[in-house]
Parts: sequence; C-alpha cells; structure tokens
Amino acid sequence: MLRIRNISKTYSNGVVALDNVSLEVGAGMFGLLGPNGAGKSSLMRTVATLQDPDSGGIDFDGLDVAANKEQVRRKLGYLPQDFGVYPKVSAQEMLDHFAVLKGFVQRQQRNEVVAALLQKVNLWEVRKRKLGTFSGGMRQRFGIAQALIGDPRLVIVDEPTAGLDPEERNRFLNLLAEIGEQVVVILSTHIVEDVTDLCPRMAIISKGRMLMSGKPHEAIAAMRERVWSKVVAKTALPEYQSRFEVLSTRLIAGQPLIHVYSERPPEEGFACVAPDLEDVYFRQLQYREATAPPAS
Amino acid sequence: MFTEFFRFDLRQQLRSPLLWVAGLVFALLAFGATTSDVVQIGGALGNVHRNAPAVIVNFFVNFSVLGLFVVTFFVAQPLLRDFEMGTDELFFATPMRTRDYVAGRLAAGLVASLAIYIITGAGMILGSAMPWVDPQRVGTFSLAPHLWSLAVVVIPNLIFMAALLSLLAVTTRNLLSVYLGVIGFFVLYAASSYLARDIQYDAIVSVLDPFGARALERTMRYWSANESNTLLPALDRYLLINRVVWLGVAVALLAATFALFRPQRFRGGKQRRRDVAMAIPEPAGNRAYMTESASSAQSHAGASFGGSVPWRQLLHQLRFDTAGVLRGVPFLVLLAFGVANLIAGSFAVDDAYGTKVLPVTDTMLRVIDGSYAYLLVLIIGFYAGELVWRERSAKLAELTDALPIPNWVPLLGKVGALLCVVLVFMLLGVLTSMGVQLARGYTNLEPGLYLGGILIQCVPFMLMAVAAVVLQVISNNKAIGYLLYVLMMVVQIALPPLHFEHNLYNFSNAPQVPHSDMNGFGHFLSGWLWFESYWTIFAAVLVVIAAAFWVRGTAPSWRGRLRQARHGLSGRQGATLIVLVVAFVSVGAWIYYNTNVLNEYLPADVAMDRQARYEQSYRKYKDLPQPQIVAVKADVDIYPSQRRVEVRGHYDFVNTHAELLSEFHVLIDPRAKLTKVALAGADLVKDDPQVGYRIYKLRQPMQPGATMQMEFTVERMQRGFTNDGLPPDSNLGNSRSPLNDNGTFFNNMEMMPHFGYSESLQLVDRNERRKRGLGDVPRLPKLEDEKARDSIGFPDGNWIDFEATLSTSADQVALAPGYLQREWTQNGRRYFHYKMDRPMLPFFCFLSARWQVRRDEWNGVPIEIYYDAKHPYNVDRMIAGVKKSLDYFTVNFSPYQHKQVRILEFPGYARFAQSFANTIPYSERIGFIADLRKPEDVDYVFYVTAHEIAHQWWAHQVIGAGVQGQDMLSESLAQYSALMVMEKEYGRDRMRKFLKYELDRYLRDRGGELVEEMPLMRVEGQPYIHYQKGSLIFYRLREELGEERLNRALANFIRDKAYQHAPFTTSKEFLEYLRAETPPEKYALLDELFAKIVLYDNRVTDAKAQRRADGKYAVEIDVSAKKLQADGVGKETTLPIDDWMEVGVFARGEDGSEEKQKVLYLQKQHITPQTQKFAVVVDSEPYQVGLDPYNKLIDRNSDDNRKEVTVSAAN
Repeated sequence: MLRIRNISKTYSNGVVALDNVSLEVGAGMFGLLGPNGAGKSSLMRTVATLQDPDSGGIDFDGLDVAANKEQVRRKLGYLPQDFGVYPKVSAQEMLDHFAVLKGFVQRQQRNEVVAALLQKVNLWEVRKRKLGTFSGGMRQRFGIAQALIGDPRLVIVDEPTAGLDPEERNRFLNLLAEIGEQVVVILSTHIVEDVTDLCPRMAIISKGRMLMSGKPHEAIAAMRERVWSKVVAKTALPEYQSRFEVLSTRLIAGQPLIHVYSERPPEEGFACVAPDLEDVYFRQLQYREATAPPAS
Repeated sequence: MFTEFFRFDLRQQLRSPLLWVAGLVFALLAFGATTSDVVQIGGALGNVHRNAPAVIVNFFVNFSVLGLFVVTFFVAQPLLRDFEMGTDELFFATPMRTRDYVAGRLAAGLVASLAIYIITGAGMILGSAMPWVDPQRVGTFSLAPHLWSLAVVVIPNLIFMAALLSLLAVTTRNLLSVYLGVIGFFVLYAASSYLARDIQYDAIVSVLDPFGARALERTMRYWSANESNTLLPALDRYLLINRVVWLGVAVALLAATFALFRPQRFRGGKQRRRDVAMAIPEPAGNRAYMTESASSAQSHAGASFGGSVPWRQLLHQLRFDTAGVLRGVPFLVLLAFGVANLIAGSFAVDDAYGTKVLPVTDTMLRVIDGSYAYLLVLIIGFYAGELVWRERSAKLAELTDALPIPNWVPLLGKVGALLCVVLVFMLLGVLTSMGVQLARGYTNLEPGLYLGGILIQCVPFMLMAVAAVVLQVISNNKAIGYLLYVLMMVVQIALPPLHFEHNLYNFSNAPQVPHSDMNGFGHFLSGWLWFESYWTIFAAVLVVIAAAFWVRGTAPSWRGRLRQARHGLSGRQGATLIVLVVAFVSVGAWIYYNTNVLNEYLPADVAMDRQARYEQSYRKYKDLPQPQIVAVKADVDIYPSQRRVEVRGHYDFVNTHAELLSEFHVLIDPRAKLTKVALAGADLVKDDPQVGYRIYKLRQPMQPGATMQMEFTVERMQRGFTNDGLPPDSNLGNSRSPLNDNGTFFNNMEMMPHFGYSESLQLVDRNERRKRGLGDVPRLPKLEDEKARDSIGFPDGNWIDFEATLSTSADQVALAPGYLQREWTQNGRRYFHYKMDRPMLPFFCFLSARWQVRRDEWNGVPIEIYYDAKHPYNVDRMIAGVKKSLDYFTVNFSPYQHKQVRILEFPGYARFAQSFANTIPYSERIGFIADLRKPEDVDYVFYVTAHEIAHQWWAHQVIGAGVQGQDMLSESLAQYSALMVMEKEYGRDRMRKFLKYELDRYLRDRGGELVEEMPLMRVEGQPYIHYQKGSLIFYRLREELGEERLNRALANFIRDKAYQHAPFTTSKEFLEYLRAETPPEKYALLDELFAKIVLYDNRVTDAKAQRRADGKYAVEIDVSAKKLQADGVGKETTLPIDDWMEVGVFARGEDGSEEKQKVLYLQKQHITPQTQKFAVVVDSEPYQVGLDPYNKLIDRNSDDNRKEVTVSAAN
C-alpha cells in the first residue's frame, strides 16, 4: 500500500511541479494520466526516492520513504521515462551489473535471475549484443527487465509506451498487467488507452495538481448521457467552441467532429454518444482550467 | 551568401563562453609571465627584457602550438555543428552554395581564434605596464613585435590548423575523431622533436615543423640579450621557406576540404546506430514476451543486503567502471601518446654530446616520470568527470540512483576505478620501458625497483584522482568540477615559487624521492611516506565528506544538499570523519615536529634573506687579514646508516701578513654544528649560528709569521626528516645530499670551519639582490688587481699538509686524499689513516660507500676505480682514460705529482665529477652508465676522465689567483688537455663532432647570460666560457700554433708557476707564455681569441665546377666572410675581415656521409673584403666546397660553411 500525503514540490526555477498531491495506491495496476509537463514524472521520481518533496510525505508498506530510502529501494523497480544505456556494453553484462547492485552478489543466483529475466522480456537471443545497437522497443524491454530484478513490491513505470509500435505496446502492457496482479504498479502515461486497457484504478494530474482519482469505469459512468457529438463546418468551429463546452475536436474525413459536454442535448444535430475515458480526461482538464479548485 | 554565413557564425562564436575563457586564460598566463618569474613562457631571463621582441615572438609561438586544441573547437565544431544537431537537412535543402557555407564558417572560426590571440597580446602589454614590475626589466613599448608575431606566426599557423582540422572534420564528420586526429598529429609533432635533438638534422626539422617554432628557434637560438631586446627575426631562409611551405600545404588542404565536402548524410556518425539497429533481426518467430516464464523470474527472491554485500557491490562497480575507462578511446589515445613519448624520451635522457646512456632501470624510471606519467594529469581530470557523470550522461542515473545501495558504493567505486586506471597506466609504462630495455639489448630487468619507483610516482596522482572525483561530486557540475581541478593544480604549482614551500599545505605534495642505484631510495623514503600518509588521510576525509554530498536523483538546492550532508554525517560516517580528522591532525603534528622542530623549515626567500643579512653584516670584513691554514689533521667518524658525521680537526695556521692579527673570523656552513673550538688566547665575542659566523678576539694579537693551532669538533647529523628531501642545488659544487647510507660524500667547505668572510656564500641572483637592497652582483676582482693575487679564492689558505683518519661502518670503505697508511678494525668499525706526502690545495673530500674496486697501474702508479656493483660498464674506459692522460700530460707538461689515481663513484643526486688531489669523485650519472657500444659515438667517459686527470696539473699544480680568468687557467686548460688525449685516441673526425656540440652550447648559453659575457681571459665563473669557449679557442690555437708550440708554452708555464705562493699567477701572465711561442703576425689573433669576444659569420655563396678536357675539374668558389666583435650584452660591431681561413673542396664519400668524404683540396687562404673568390683545380669530381669547412672558427651559423658544387660538363 502506497500513501502519498499532501506533497508539494517547487523547482529552483520557480516551476511548481507538484501542488499538494495526495493519493492512495493499493496492489494492482494504477494509471497516472496527465498531459506532458503535468508533474507525472516529478511524482514518479519522488516515489522512486530520487527527489524529496518540499512538504508532505510518502509511506510505502508503513515505511516513510524519505527517511528509509534504502529500505524502499530494496523493494522498488523503476523504469524512468527517458533512460539511456552504455552503448558499448552488452545487454547481459548491463543486466548483470544491475543485478549485483540490487543485491544479487552470489554469481550462481545472479546468473539465474539475469537469464530468467532476459528470457521473460525475450532478449535472450540478443543478450550478447551491445545495447547501442538495440531498437527502441528492445531497449524498453531491457528497461523493464532491469526494473523487475529481485521481485520488486513497488513497480513504477514512467511513460513506457511512448514511441512503441502498437504490437510492441500491447505486449508490453500484457507483461505489466501480469505483474500487477501481485504488487503495486504505477503506470504513468499521457496515452488514455493505456489506462483504459489496463488499470482498475487511476488518477488524473495536471499542472502539478491531482484532478481526480478513482476507478475509470465509475468516472465514465458519471458522464453517461452527457457527451454529445456532431460533425460541424470548419468555419463554424470557433463559434461552437465559444458556445459549448467542447471536450475534443477530431477530423473525420477532413471535417471536424466535436465532442461536447452537456447535461441536456445542446442543439439540433448533436447525437448522444457513450463516453469513454478520453472524454473523462478532457473534461477533467478543462474543468480544471475553468474552475480553480479541483474535483475528485 | 558568404557574408551571411560569416556574420551569423561569427556572432555565434563571439557568444561562446569558451572563446572568452580561453582568451582570458591565455591572457592571464601572458600577464603572469610578464609580471613575475612564476610563469616562464617566453624566455625573459637576465638581461632580456620582459617585453623584448624575442620574448613576445616566443610567447606567441608557444601559444599558437598550445592553442591547437582550442582552435579545434572554433574551426571544426562549426563545420560539424549541423550534422551533430541534426540541422543539416534544414540547411542543405536551401538553395545555397556549399562553398559559401564552408568558407563562411571557416572564416568566422579563424577570426574568432584570432581574437583569442589578440586578447593574449593585450595581457602581455598590460603586464609590462604594471607598477610592481622592475622597470629595468622592461624595454620601450612597441606594437611591432605583436603585429609581426600575428602576421608571421599566429595567422599562418591558424590557417594551417584550420585547414588541417576542417579536412579532418569533413572526412570524419565527428568531433571526437577530429580531436583524436589532433592528438595524433601532436604525437607525431612531439615525437619528431626528438629527431631535432641531433643537431645534424636541424635544418630539415626546422622546415618540417608546421608551426615554424623550430625555424624561429634556429633563427634566434644564439641571440644575445641585446639582440633579443632589439631585433625581430629576419623573415628569410628557414623561416621564409617554412612559412611558404606550410601556407602552401594549408592551401592544398583547404582545396581538398572544399572538394570533399558533401552536404549529404553519409553512413557514419549518428546515423549508424539507427541503421544497425534496424538491421538486427528480431529473435525468430515469437516476438512476444515469454509470459509462461514470468512467474519463474518472480520466484528468484534471495537478493541480499547489508553485511558484506555492499563491499562486493563496490568491487563489482569498480571493475565495471575501470573496464569502461580502459576501453575508452581517449584513454587509448593518451596511452599511445605516452608510449611514443616514453620511447622517444628513453633515447634523449641524459644524452651528452649525442651519446646516450644505457637504459638502466634507474634512468628509465626518470624517463617514465618526465615523459610519461604527467599524462595522468589529463587522464585523471578527464575521467574523474566522465566517471562521476557516467550514469547521468548515459541517462542511466534514474535507474542506478534508485538502486538499493549506499552512497559510498558508487563513490568509492568511481574513486577506486580511477586509482586502478592510474595503476594500469603506470604498469603499461613499465612494460613499455622493459620493452625498450630489451630492444636496446639491456637485459637486467628489475621488476622490484620498477614497482617501488612507480608507486612513488603514482601516489600523488592517486591523491589528485581522489580530489578530482570529490570536486566533481561536491560541485555537482561537470564544467565547474573541471575548473576546480585545474584551479587545484594551479595552486599546487604556484605555491612553491611564491615561497609557500611547505608540503603540509600543498595538497598531495611530499619531499622529492630521488632514486640512485647506489643508495636506492635512501633516507628520502621515510619523509615521503609520512607526508603521503598525511595526504592520504586527507583524501579519505574528502571522500567521507563527498559521500555525504553524493547526489541521487534530482539535485536539491545547496541548502538542501547541506542539510542532507549534515544528516549523512551524523551517524557512523560522522564518527569515521572524526577519527580521520584526528589521524590527519596527529600525523600533521608529527610531520611538523620533524620538519620544523627537529629540523629547520627554510623556504627559499627566508634563506635568501639570510644570505643578504650575512652579506650586509659581514662583508665589511672581506679584506680583514686572516691567518692562513698550513696543515690540517682530521679524525672523521662517519656513521652512514644514521647519516651522522663527527669531525675532530686540527689546524696549524700562520699569520702571513705583515701586521698583527687581533681578530679571527670563523665561518662554517650553518647546517654543520661547531660543538667545540679550542683557540688558545682567544675569546668568542660574536656568535651568529644562523649564518655560521663567529668572531674571536685575541687577548694577545698574533705576530706576523707566528704559528697557532686550532682544535675543533663539528657534528652534523640528520634527525627525523625534512620538508624538502633532496636539498636544492647550490652552485658551491657540493653533493646535495652529503650524508647517505651508501655513498657519503662531503668536502671541507661543507663540514669544517674557515677563516674569514667567504664571497661564495653571497646571494647572486640580480633581481633577488635588488629586492633586498644589495646592489649589483659582486664581481671577481679585476685581472689587474695586484692585491687580489695574494689569494687563490680560498680566503684562508693555499698549500696545506693533509692527514686524516676516517672511520666508517664495517661494510664500507672510507676515502680521503692522500695515501693509505694503515687500516684497522676497532669496535666493529673500519678505520683508515690517509696522509698526503706533499702540500696540496686546501680543498679535500671524504667519502664512504660499499664499492667494488678495479685496480690497474700506469708506470708503477696504482689506478683504482671504486664503483658500484651495478655499474661495471665503463670502468675500463675510465682506466684507459687515466692511462692515456698520464701518458700525454707527463710527456708534454710535467711529471704527475701523486703516487696514485683514484676514481670514486658517488650517488647521482648531483651530476658532476670533481678532481681533488689524487682523488676524483665521479657521479653515477655522468659516465658510469653511458652507452658506449656504438663506436661512432663520442666517448665522453674517456673525455671526462681525461679532463679530471688534467686538473691534477691545471689547478693542483698551477693555480691562478682568485681574479678574472682563474677558471681559464684550470677549466679551459683541462679542456684543451682532454681534447688532445681524446684526439690521439679517437682521431680528428670525432673531435669535430664533439666541438660542434661545444660551439652550439657556447652560442646558446651566451644568449642566456645573466650579467655580462666576458672574454675568455677575463672569465668570471661562467661555465659556457671556461668550458665550451675554452675548448673552441684552445683547439683553434692548436691549429694556429701547432701542438708542439702550444704544449711548450704550457710546459714552460707549469715549470715557472707550479706550486707557487702569493702572488699567484693570472691569465695575463699565461698569455705572455703563449706570446713567446706565437709568431708576431698572430699577436692580433691572440688578442681576439683571449681578450675579445669575436664571432664569425662565414658562408659559401656560390660553388661551380667545370670538367676540363684533361679530366680535371676547375672549381670556382664565392664566399662571404664576416667578423664581428660583441660586447658583454651582445651588442655587435663589424671588424674588418683580414683572416687566414681554410678553403676546401671535397669529393663525395661512398655513403654520402661527411666522415667518408675525400679531401681534394684544403688550403688556408687569406680572406679580406677584396678576396672572396677562389678558383682551384682538383683531380676528381668535387661534391662540396667549404669555407672553414671544419668549423674551427666561432661561427654564428656553422651549417652554411659548406655548399654543394654545381658541376657542368666540359665545353
């Protein structure tokens, strides 16, 4: 059980990264959704012991993270958003290195762990290859392999699917889902489908504030019969935007298709559509902009 | 288009901080060099102004070589910027011409680079205007040397470098490769400079040097102070050829650059990685994750923490990071550079007259220290940054920082890795060095000595490595970390010259530990160990602090980091810190006790203050009559392992003056302690132990002619260790470290009292004197000073009876001048009683060591060589030298006055040989290990031996008065005598080789004269005159008078002046003996050789030959001869030429070498301004002609005396 209590963080350049964020995460997949620059990575790094909040605190399994970093690190698996590798080192060598640093100092045992993980992420056959020659997907798989060394109880994956092709993305998410059965997995992403597909619980964060947290299907249910869509003329778009609460605009065969939030049918020609998580997400982002205090 | 690129890029360049930082650093160095002696770059010494044109030119030359690395950035980076940033496609999709693109950026880079040099020049100009700069060292300001340097040196060099760099950039498309190329170029450049050491190659080398540095050096090497202060180098000959050649090369390189520049991406650089990634086949078939095995991975619990785990993690981290460095290209490049440098250095070390020394391990360790180890400064600085930032620059830090390891694991891992790198680098140096030894046929490998030697060299670097890592960690900014590292080194280097000399506050510094094959690391080791332990503890303190400041994840603000560090230092780390600090302070206190309580810590400025005080207080007694010592008896107990000596001496002395003596002034080296003085009827009225001056007042004045006795005891012992290890060299001919476990060597100046004020202890540096209000440098008495002829320079005696009883440890032999009377053992110590059977100079030595002895004899005179077991190589040459010398000198000069000759090896802490009566101490580094296996090399062992034996005549038989020219009578005559012995043994060709080095050294060193160059007969202790010029002048004189006449003059001189008493002879009297043997038409020549400074500039301007019908050749020779007279600072006036010089015609030798040439014609010709054309007929085809072809005259340009002949066929 991970409890985040009222944490705030302001960087030295004045950017408010986290603003009084609180959250409780139990076992299972937890999706953290937010646009680029929302503070997701700051939150992830803070949970991963890599930066201290200015105020507030984090508990994991009853341990205060700030005061017990090393204990927490023993249970932690972390895949940062943007990580590199030593290009001239092979996958096996690098994973072996991480395994030692994660406490596998017995060679025999370590070799087994490394081999198992390489097989698990399907890099066994390229294990001798230099990491510099890996494709993006292979590198990401290597990343998850290192995060899984030593049965972490808390797995943090920050934007893992960015830049992966759809097939690779699916497989990656399957792997996460499987891990998520036993431990706390926090998946931060700006891709709504990742959360829809995989997370029984989620939170939306923007500009350092927690906009909502809860179960995706409940949030969707709350918007039932309040999302309306219509194909409009390009020239009329600004007018609609001023008159209605437009959630999203998408082009369908060159014509804008708009989603509008409204408790009643807004106007002739609008059709009521079944809301999805994306509607929830946009609604939350706009609500945040329109009204100061966040909803939850 | 061009202007747009130029404008845009120049703006970019001028905004780059590197430009201003580099400019500022260069300007600061320039400023430092012009305002103080701490920075030495341009060569402003002695009479050369700090802003002399030659200094400015040299300065710019050095900086244009150094600037290569900076210029790389400004020239290569703009050409590659777009490819590295990925903006290339944006640019090359526009309709511009690539020619404008390349030219514009190149021109901007050149202008930016030039800006750096302009800033540098400004630093120099500003420096010379500073109020604290001694106005006597500043010449009038002129912008001309700056403009000249920019035009002739800097701009052409920039163009060449820019051309080279842009070609590299265009062909490799990778900044790192360009840098590697630059380093490679530099390796070649540095390695080629070892070619230049052999002076026969320097014409080629001066043209081949792309920077023109050697062409300039060649133009200016013999410049006198006056020339340096007034002239700019003439842009002709080598310099002009050099500049034209390299500008031409630059144009060619630029043309290639434009031709090869391809805007398209090519398969290289950044693209490659992606391409290869594409090419990797995914594992066949199933691309899916193997989910079935997922749970099996999960079951591998069993990670362990705590206990020994972090240590094993540390070991792993260390191995991992070390491997990372050792595989790195920069490391490998620096290693290659070092290895090349080491190999080249092994040929150049201790080279004398072109003869090398054997690559013994002791010497090779010195080469490693001088030519190889210094690269560690770069390796450490660079890799400290790389290692600390390794994870972060690979964007891996987020992964590694979240791992369950304590902060000290990665920190110590990185420190350890850097230490391993240092060790590996040094061990590779040792392997290279052993390779050199084997390749040169030297098989006595000494791994143990290597290990000790490199550990001693390594430790300071290792400490710097720790500091470099700590600075990176604490600054948490790579650039600032580098800056702090450089700053640390600047402080380390700058402190001692500013007379902050104590190693207690100069990080990683310790007393020097010189190695000697005789004495090993000796007593120097213990002080070194204490100091380095002290700094090691300090480094540990730094590491503990750095661990507390170690940043994981996002770095907090400084306040946050301090809070974190306080927190980190509260527990066990804090306790460790306290323990370490206590240890640091305790060891520091122990060192302080040794260096400042048991011994005296004496920084050079304080020592000079004392010298000044000595002069100010006591120089007034310089002419006070003092008694003369006539007999010395001494009991000398040497305790080598304790480095202790006790001298119980007895002097008989006489009042040789016509007046009563009422005061005795007793002087002793203050490092020796005078514990007992028994002078009957005299009271000590003044005792100044700091400078060793005592005044005794006699109750009854000493009558003229009366004899008195003095008994004294002197003790000198080394307690604990000192701050400076090997004492600084002084010009008193002392042995630097007189007391050693194996190889004790001291003389009476160092260990026994003397009567009267001694001028030799005065401060001689002109600038230091001026600072202390001491006035001009005291000079020797003038040659005409008749009163000064009473003394030979020793104030208290001239010929003495000598007798000494020495004792030493049971395993050593102790020696002093005289003959062994008795040898016995008593109380486990060996005793030797020596007695000289005739009066000798009041200058004697005592030695003790474990030696091997080789005995031989010459006409019943025993010859003994006492040498170290490791150095048997050249003992036979020494014996041959002794024999041949005795042969020549006894036949030509006078009988040998002693009954024995002894040569004694002493540790190489100093590098000289010195002749005492029948006893010649000889440094292990001046001949014992010379490599004489090549028969064509100059056998300087033979020469040095002959020179020292010659001193048994010149000094020990005839000694001049202590006035100008005294050294000519000893040193120049010893040179001449040795030359004759050498010529008999090795022939004239070898002499020419030897004298070429003598000429080069004379011409070079006279430019560095600090006071005033004197004519030979008025030489005032100036080695380049009494040795080098002495050789040249006497060899020339031999050519002019013939050996027989010259030797007759010498024999007559000895016959009349040997063993004389006051008034002593002078060079003026000697010249009378020469004149007696000189035909009147050569009197003028005699005057030029001895009483003037005369230089020639002779050359062949044209040489043509025509084959005649009879098969003979008619040769026409045009020459140009010039004769100049110089004054003491090198101001020259032309003398009318009216000289007889050799003119020669030579046939080509079979291998083209000069030695094998056949002389077709060689005649002395009368050269006047009118007669500078000669026609001669020779029998076979001429190859070269020459005016003074054997360089018998002192010629400022000795290489153009010969010229190849253009031969045309018969009509």
